[in-house]
This record gives sequence, structure tokens and C-alpha cells, in this order.
Amino acid sequence: MTVDAVYLLQLTLNGITLGLLYALIAVGLSLIFGVMEIINFAHGELLMLGAFAMAFALPVMGLLYWPAMAVAILATMLAGLAIYEVLLAPLKPDEFERSILITLGLSIIIIHAMQYIFTATPRLVDTQYGFEGIEIGSIRITWTRVIGAGAALVAFGGLYAVLRYTQFGRAMRAIAQNREAALMVGIRPRVVARNAVVLAAGLCGLAGAAISPIQLVTPYMGQFLIFKAFALVIIGGLGNIPGAIVAAVALGLVENWIGGFFEIVWQEAAVFVIMIAVVFLRPDGLFKRGGMRVG
Amino acid sequence: MTDLALELVSVTAGYGDNPIVREFSARLYAGTITTLIGGNGAGKSTLLRAIFGTNRHFSGQIVFKGETIEQLPPWERLKRGVGFVPQGRCNFPAMTVEENMKMGCYTLPAGRHVAAIERVANSFPMLRTKWRTDAGNLSGGEQQILEMAMVLLVEPTLLLLDEPSLGLSPKMQGDVFVTVQQVARTGVTVLVVEQNVRGALLISDRALVMEQGRLFMEGPAAEVRTDPRIRQAYLGGNIKQTAA
Repeated sequence: MTVDAVYLLQLTLNGITLGLLYALIAVGLSLIFGVMEIINFAHGELLMLGAFAMAFALPVMGLLYWPAMAVAILATMLAGLAIYEVLLAPLKPDEFERSILITLGLSIIIIHAMQYIFTATPRLVDTQYGFEGIEIGSIRITWTRVIGAGAALVAFGGLYAVLRYTQFGRAMRAIAQNREAALMVGIRPRVVARNAVVLAAGLCGLAGAAISPIQLVTPYMGQFLIFKAFALVIIGGLGNIPGAIVAAVALGLVENWIGGFFEIVWQEAAVFVIMIAVVFLRPDGLFKRGGMRVG
Repeated sequence: MTDLALELVSVTAGYGDNPIVREFSARLYAGTITTLIGGNGAGKSTLLRAIFGTNRHFSGQIVFKGETIEQLPPWERLKRGVGFVPQGRCNFPAMTVEENMKMGCYTLPAGRHVAAIERVANSFPMLRTKWRTDAGNLSGGEQQILEMAMVLLVEPTLLLLDEPSLGLSPKMQGDVFVTVQQVARTGVTVLVVEQNVRGALLISDRALVMEQGRLFMEGPAAEVRTDPRIRQAYLGGNIKQTAA
């Protein structure tokens, strides 16, 4: 098999973009896990809500990308706040099983409610950038991909700064590292948990908004993403944020390479094959030590 | 020892549906060190947690500065001046000493952080030498000092210490005891649970003895130290043992 260098580069760039958007989901999942010790199975649906919010906001905003994205982020943050206050806040720290049922149930309810209201017809989302892009030689990347990747990078930078330099963010790392010590210094666990859920929801909103002009928007688009994101969190090491980012970008690359050179069906299986291999070979994930930890 | 720092009135507390501490009444006097003695499972840690508010309160009153605080969450008690250093390593291991100190300032207004950290770091020079080290990489004794420092940042008037010398070398245990004495000399009331009963009694003014969740005996530390029952049960009978 001969590999066309241009084709490979194209796949690689697309893979990085997709990987960065996966990373936004994985990081939020990791953050909620670190702070609340629960897996939010409705996390993919927050992305879907963000994508739908983008799809509906764009025509209202005259197809302007940035205002519509702001609306999408705000909408998912509000959804995150509602989910936290109504369903997650009453959970006690040792109710992991209940949290699985609640968030899994919520995920299914959101998917079907969205399908009932907006039908399952895939939506093509158009922005001010249309399908224009930058061309380097014979390689072409659409602006929506470039901007999506850029926005994700900026979000990671912002998240790092918040977790590293603000009491607001440090409290999230603190509670993930030692719950009792967090109480010792006067941290209110529920306030921090709420902040973490809203922050993670905002990252989902950003990812959903960024992905909507790249992929078709359907009520099901988040369904499998949660499992992928969960796999990434495991591969990157639970609670390890840079680990999750590296794993996510690697996955984006692997998926695109596999999708580009092999049967497309292998693309979806790849992440889980890798996850199982990692779990057997390195049970604590690939990046156990160091990095910005929330767990 | 005239001023009352804390009064426990028939406190019953525990976890879930299990009361561990039962109808416990005691008084702590301002600026004194009180040792809480008792066997494994007597409920010593449970009592400290009940005073700070991190477990379940069943009944009774906890009166601090004339206010009943048993219904308040831990952060409200901390704001009123109740500090608690739990047993075992209780810091943020993947944060530097500096970040841990900043977390210690969590309940203080932002404008007071720098001054508070400066003041406490001056009392514990060791911390400055490890300022950028992750707390998880400090020795056990250094971590214990750090944890005490984190709580002292908010200037509590009552300090609850759960096994501060556990797992430390005899030398380090001595250092921790000296630190506790220093803290008490600044006017802070200290209630300490210690596995090193002899060492703790030597630095304490008073002692409370707990058995099966109830108050068994109380009095000046010197009296409790010489009580035959206490010698038998907690001080290893006649075996000579150097105090820390």
C-alpha cells in the first residue's frame, strides 16, 4: 500500500482538530469525576445540546460564529446548572451506583426528548465561514475546523490558568486530592461540585458548538462520545487533565488514520481496543505521574 | 483556667445510624491544652469530628463562645474559630506547600491572604525551605507541621488535633509537641488526641479519658498521669518509657 503524503497530512490535521474537541469532553468528564467521584453519563448529551443551541442560534445571529458559540456555551452551562441542582446535588458522596443510574437515565431522556421535539433528521449547520478554508498546497482545511481547534486550545489554556492560579479552580483540585483536607480548610463541597459541573458543561457547549459545522447535528451525536471520552479518561489516567488531552488528540489521529486507510468500521472500534490494551498493560493509565491533576 | 473556650453538653454523635460518642459532657478552658485519652474505638476521633461538624450529630449541645454551633456546617465553625487537623495525612499532596497554604486561606478575604501566609510561615521556617515542593513529597513530620500551619492561617481560637504525632520518629514527635505548646502559648485552646499518651500528658494542662464513647474520667493532666488505672491501661504499667 502506498501512502500519499498529502493525504496523510490532511488526515493528520483533521485528526488533531477532532482530537482537541474530544479532549474538551474528556477533560470535563475528568473534572466532574475528580470533584464528585461520579461518571456523568449524560456528558455527551451536553455536547449535543451545545450543538443544537449553535444550530438554532446561528440563523438568529445572522450566521455569525462567535455570538452563536457564546449562546451555545451559556445554554449548556445553564443545562449543567439545572442538572446539578436537581439531580446531582442530592447525591451523597458514597452513592456512585445511584449516580450511574441517574445520569444514564438522564442521557436517554434527553436524547429522546430532543428527537421528539426536533426529529432525528440530521442537520447541516452553516456559519459565516461556510465551507471556506485555508489551502496549503493541495491540502485544504475549513475555517470551522481551524477555529474549532483554536477555540479548544484557548479553552485548555484558560482552564489551566483557572485550576492553577485561582482559589475557584484550586478548590476543585483540592477536593479531588483530599476530601477531608478540603473540609479542614473550609471548602464547601457542594459549591465546588456545582462550579465543576457548570464549568465542564461549558466545555461541552464549546465542543458542541465547534463540532456542529463539522459534523451533522443529530440527537444521537453525543451518545457514543461519552464512552469514547470515558475511554480517553482511563487511557490518560483518571483525574489527569493533560493525560486526557494527549490521549484525546492521539485518538483523533488514530481514528482519522484508520478511517483513511482501512474500512471505516474500524474507526469506532479503535479507541476501545486501545483502552482495553491500556487497562491490561498500564492499569493506572499512560500518564500516571505529574501534570495538572484533579484526582 | 477560668474562661470557658468550649462546652460539650451531653453530646451524642457518630456516623449513619450509629452513635459512637454518647452523652459526652466536658469543658475546655481558654488557652489550655487538653489531651483526650482512650483506647482504640473509644470515640476520640468521632468526638473531634463532632466538634468540627464532619460527622452526624444526634443530640446535645456544643457551645463555642456562647453560641451553640452543633447545627452549623464545618466551614461556618471554621469561620467562628474552630480549627481541626484530622488524623493521617490531611493535605493536598499534588499541590506545592505554597498552594496548600493558599488553600488554607480559603475562608479568608483575598486581601488578607498574603499577611496570613507571611505570619504563619514565619512561625514555621521549615515551610519556606520547602515552598515549591509538593506536599506529598514532604516527610511525615513536615506534612503534620504543614497541616497545622494551614489551619492556623485563619487564626482559630480552638484547635482540634487528631493524632498529630502518629507515625513520626521520636525526634519528630518531640518537635510536634513543642509546636503544639507554642501554639497554645499564643492563647489558642488545644484539644489533642494522641497515641503517645505519656508525651501528650506532659505538655497538657488537663486530660479527658474516654471509654466506649463516654467520659470515664477528667482532671488535671498531672493527676490523670498518676492515676493507677490510667497508668495500667495507657501508660504501659511499670515499664519505663522515655517521654518524647
